[in-house]
Amino acid sequence: MAKSTIYAGLEIGTSKICVVVGEAKRDGTIKILGVGTAPSRGVRKGEIVDFQKVQTVLNDALVRAEEPSEVMIRTVFLGVTGGHIRSLNSRGAWRLPEDQSEITEDDVEEAKEIARNVEIPQDHVFLHSITRQYIVDGQEGVRQPIGREGRVLEADYHIIHGMRGRIQNAVKCVREVPLEVEDVVFTAIAAAQVVLSREAKAQGALMIDIGGGTADYVLYEDGMIAASGCVPLGGDHITQDIAMAVQIPDRRAEELKVTEGSCIYEDVDPEDMVRVEDDNGFMIAEVERSFLNEVIHLRVREILEQVKARCEDHIGHLAAGVYLTGGTSLMKGIDVVAQDVFERKVTRAGSAPVSGVTATFEKPQFSAPVGLIRYAQILDQEKPFMSPLRRLGRKMADLLSIVP
Amino acid sequence: MVEYDRNALKETVEPGTLKTCIVGVGGAGGNVLDRITLDRTVDAKLVAVHTDIRVLSHSMSPNKVQLGIELMRGVGAGGDPELGREAAMFSREQIREAVTGHDIVFICTGLGGGTGSGAAPVIAEIAKSTGALVFLTATMPFSFEGRRRVKQAEESLDHLQKRADALILFENNRMGELTLPKDGIQKAFSQADQLIAQSLRAVSTILTTPGLVKLGLDDLTAALNTSNGRCLFGFGEARGQNRGTEAVKRALKSPLIDQGRLLHQTKTLLVHIAGGESLTLLEVDAIMKQLGKNVPDQTHILFGVAVDPKLGDSVCVTLLSSLGLAQLNTLAAAAPPAEMLPVREREMPKVMDAMTPAQAAPQPPPAPKPARAPKVEAVKPAPAPVAESMDLFFSNEEAPAPAEPVPAAPPEPEAALPEADESIHAFVQEVVDEPAAEQEEPAPFEDEVIIEQEVVAAHIPEPEPEPQPEKPRRPRIEDYITDTPPAPRPVSTSLAEVVGRNKPAAPAADAPYMPAGSRSKITEEEEQIAFQFRSEEDRGRFRETEPVLADGGEDLDVPTWMRLKRKLRR
Repeated sequence: MAKSTIYAGLEIGTSKICVVVGEAKRDGTIKILGVGTAPSRGVRKGEIVDFQKVQTVLNDALVRAEEPSEVMIRTVFLGVTGGHIRSLNSRGAWRLPEDQSEITEDDVEEAKEIARNVEIPQDHVFLHSITRQYIVDGQEGVRQPIGREGRVLEADYHIIHGMRGRIQNAVKCVREVPLEVEDVVFTAIAAAQVVLSREAKAQGALMIDIGGGTADYVLYEDGMIAASGCVPLGGDHITQDIAMAVQIPDRRAEELKVTEGSCIYEDVDPEDMVRVEDDNGFMIAEVERSFLNEVIHLRVREILEQVKARCEDHIGHLAAGVYLTGGTSLMKGIDVVAQDVFERKVTRAGSAPVSGVTATFEKPQFSAPVGLIRYAQILDQEKPFMSPLRRLGRKMADLLSIVP
Repeated sequence: MVEYDRNALKETVEPGTLKTCIVGVGGAGGNVLDRITLDRTVDAKLVAVHTDIRVLSHSMSPNKVQLGIELMRGVGAGGDPELGREAAMFSREQIREAVTGHDIVFICTGLGGGTGSGAAPVIAEIAKSTGALVFLTATMPFSFEGRRRVKQAEESLDHLQKRADALILFENNRMGELTLPKDGIQKAFSQADQLIAQSLRAVSTILTTPGLVKLGLDDLTAALNTSNGRCLFGFGEARGQNRGTEAVKRALKSPLIDQGRLLHQTKTLLVHIAGGESLTLLEVDAIMKQLGKNVPDQTHILFGVAVDPKLGDSVCVTLLSSLGLAQLNTLAAAAPPAEMLPVREREMPKVMDAMTPAQAAPQPPPAPKPARAPKVEAVKPAPAPVAESMDLFFSNEEAPAPAEPVPAAPPEPEAALPEADESIHAFVQEVVDEPAAEQEEPAPFEDEVIIEQEVVAAHIPEPEPEPQPEKPRRPRIEDYITDTPPAPRPVSTSLAEVVGRNKPAAPAADAPYMPAGSRSKITEEEEQIAFQFRSEEDRGRFRETEPVLADGGEDLDVPTWMRLKRKLRR
């Protein structure tokens, strides 16, 4: 029987805080054991602004995830996002020593080191450095260079970095709960693991996870991650636009957006009015549906255009098209707008099928937290390359390096 | 032979002893009195005076006078000085009874409220009439208490200035510094009370203890005589080795002196050194030298030394001076940019904020006394009917007052009002009401408000609130939006049309910052500024967050439709 590990993913989103407990089996499948969500407070545009509120809500979500899964959550994979996250591609070339023609692990490490040695702003910290490919003597697309013959090894990296303080704050906030943070993952990377199939990645796909406060995107081409980032615009902005246009409270605007909102305004009957009622059923506003939709449309288009502007260079390679996920991707007509903006096939997707209580959680809102489990699994799968002995050796080396 | 108790004799017969009485008026005064009672620091008769029977019943002082029993029925004055004054009038006999037979009467109160501001002048008047020296220790309200109270406090102060022999004024805003920001509000207040109690004790000691180098009332008034001045007070007591220097250090540490920094500005400084019989000349010399470092050469130092066996081996240093409010504020608020303060004041300042020195700035306008005088006269006539009906304390000196503003009025705009009496009344009403109106105004530039207030006080034509609404009012979301809810007009809704159809209604909304006529004159730059200015408002709930800027510098947190509309309009 395949050995399995239980992971917990935590996403502190702008609209909800979500804890997912999942069992990652060695055969690559995932079983979701429990999901706990709680409406978020103290988070703006994907970033934590109020520790205490977040911690209270987080505790709620934690309990809700722990109960059905009967797992005591100690460590989590923490998903982070925010407008400060940037990415870049970097290549490091390493010329092998004269007396050596076969690439060894040390050479790969050297090349990696050089690739990673890029200038990022002083206050930034590496979040991910994902190997895109290796290039051996100009031959691209090499996945596994160790053991190959070659003179020059280049490591091609996609580096995601973000502001140290903000990431540390998120970690700190979770640690105070207390939960141990096993790894910090950019949510878009996590979501892409479950939204995009291997095939889609290979063909080239852009995944946009439009949440409450941010739109995180990852673009794959030729199976390699090519671009990623975060546009700090999301569903909250749509809500606010509505609230300010119709002059209703944010809560009503949110309701209006979810129940009546659509991005398509062109073929709407101009006489069609939408009533906004307060709790007691009194009408507090009335608005033309076409106007409402246009307000939404303008914002949605802008969000998508912002994403497009940031990965303009790679748009040409998207054979699999654009995948929309995240809560805002439920917006009616968003696919039409995306089609219009990207001129590519648009798919609205939740997480790919996983087993367990998932049926309910294939919703696009849960792509990122479920993706965190998948990410943890992939991380784990990459490890077995090391024999137990070597792992021990690494650990010792780590320990030694910590102690100065 | 008749036996007698020597001690008893000593207590009563000591000829030099001056009898003092401390009257705590209102809530703040009562608190100080409680503090004094608890500390038993001052040898004086303590009288608590209040309109509110419940507060009074909690007071710890041995003597209590309830003001206006019939009039108020034991309820507080509710922040109305008029009521406080009337209540005091009703109970003047009791007050007189309480204060007579004392050589010095201290009145401590917190100005700005009803009882404190209203009754204190009456009590001062009564105390004066009994032939006592009247000292007034008062606190000015916190700036967060609002302009209205500050105004009331100032009016009351004008009355008090005429009656009290010396005025010791404390700025509550500065008192807030006594405590650490995180300390409870209760502690902040009790510390402030303690400081006031200390100052009372110090002043009474200075005046009552026979000194080697005696300081008298004249010195005290000289030290405190600054127009619209606030008291700088420092008190330090120390014993043991280096007691002299220690005491000075402690005295300087007082927040009202700000580590001696505030002393640089004073013209007159009163220094009183008291010690037990062991006080040496050398120590006094050392103390004065040390103080000299903090005080500029030209400062007039009023110096007094007293030996009081009661002090044992400790040395007390008392520093007393005053500084004009304007100077105090410039010094205290040197750090934060002045223009930021008013804004903070508007948005319901938090208590903690208000307690920092930063808040000291948006305080009562530093209106010079002479300029204020006419207003005072103008204000007084209003109470007159009441005063007359009840055999007035104010009448003797102020009876002619009503006549004054009337002839003064004609050249002024107020004269437009038909009848003299009413005009005064109306004017008074205006003066009083104005601060309240101001509070509601979003008036972003405090400086202007202050200037204007002075103008009002000085009776310069056209000072009335009219200019205020005209002030460069910050554009608000509402202005912008009012026109946006779609008029129920069935048209096909293309993008341009939806945006365009709001146009006709637009000019009104745009007027505050872009008058249609002068639109062409507005330079690109100005427009940019206006744009930035308003964009903060347009950002709605993302107001406090980091802006999301697009390539063109557009703020993406501002609703898309709003930006688009703006673009189309250009």
